[in-house]
Amino acid sequence: MSAKGIRGNPELRRGLGSKTTDREKIMEDGPAGDWLALRSDQLLNWIDDAVYNAAEATGMREVVDRVTRPIFNFAQRFSPHPLHFGIMCCAIEMGQASAPDHDIDRLGLVYRSSPRQCDVLIVNGPVCEKLRPKLKTLYEQMPEPKWVIAMGECAISGGPYWDSYSVVAGADTFMPVDVYIPGCPVRPEALMHGFLTLQKKIREKEPGMFLRRD
Amino acid sequence: MNFKDLQKELKAIKGVSNLSLIRQNVIKIDLEKSVSKAFFTKLKEDFYFEHCSLITAVDNQPDFELVYHLSCLSGELTVDDTKMSAMIEVHIHLKRDSPSIDSVSDLWFGANWHEREAFDLMGIYFVGHPDLRRVLLPEGFAGHPLRKDYVYEIHEEEW
Repeated sequence: MSAKGIRGNPELRRGLGSKTTDREKIMEDGPAGDWLALRSDQLLNWIDDAVYNAAEATGMREVVDRVTRPIFNFAQRFSPHPLHFGIMCCAIEMGQASAPDHDIDRLGLVYRSSPRQCDVLIVNGPVCEKLRPKLKTLYEQMPEPKWVIAMGECAISGGPYWDSYSVVAGADTFMPVDVYIPGCPVRPEALMHGFLTLQKKIREKEPGMFLRRD
Repeated sequence: MNFKDLQKELKAIKGVSNLSLIRQNVIKIDLEKSVSKAFFTKLKEDFYFEHCSLITAVDNQPDFELVYHLSCLSGELTVDDTKMSAMIEVHIHLKRDSPSIDSVSDLWFGANWHEREAFDLMGIYFVGHPDLRRVLLPEGFAGHPLRKDYVYEIHEEEW
């Protein structure tokens, strides 16, 4: 899969059912022309299309969308679970942010240790050439929707190691970054402000919605 | 064995020069490259230096210098009625056009990764090393970046 994720790939996008899909044809012909053995993604696509078309035809889609969007959005805003992943000294500040002094848990930030359960990837340190493919794998393992926070100078531009032979010049050279937090190292208050900024960004974009449609 | 006797015996060995005492328990010597393997074998088997603390490489342009830190932790070497452990610091000069030397990773197993690191960052070739690969930098990296004449490029990748 490309680093752009599932939304950037036109093939997968059609699989998820975008507006370019011919919906009537899918309802007539079935998902992939193979009714006896459905792969799990084909089954999901078929269910997705069937439910979407039923909701669209009865006019329920707009209603449900309008009702659930604020709830989904609220849930995403106040539970952005970050990956418990530390590279260098900013990771210490990340730990301090969740200590009782600056109790970051009250924003709904619960650190999870598996990328499958996470929404936010915090890049908190210099990314060296050997770490870059691993970090990219972690990013691609996270389910959509997902956000990336570049924490500290090293993750923004390489910081003091910007001209090093093995440090990548910024996390945004190989993955999309949503929020940049300057500082060397970033203070816990700044990290908290970064998460508040991310919450504002989620609220403006309103990614929560009915079904998996754009 | 006493530390004083060790110094006398070291002075008698061929290839050893500039013996000096840089601390009470640390001997510093210069060694010729050609006798290095025999000398290190003798150090380990006759003089009780059973631990290889460090192997590092220095780029004194135009030549390279290898520094071996070996220590005796077992207490067989006594330093002037103290309980300090004896150490020896061996300096070997290498020509820039042939930066290779016999490996000591069969004598001290811990020297394996020290030699790989010196190869990785400074480009010293250890003859007889069982597995001379890069240890810190990714495979396929071009050049040895801690050399003074290394010119780096900024690596970028599209996403």
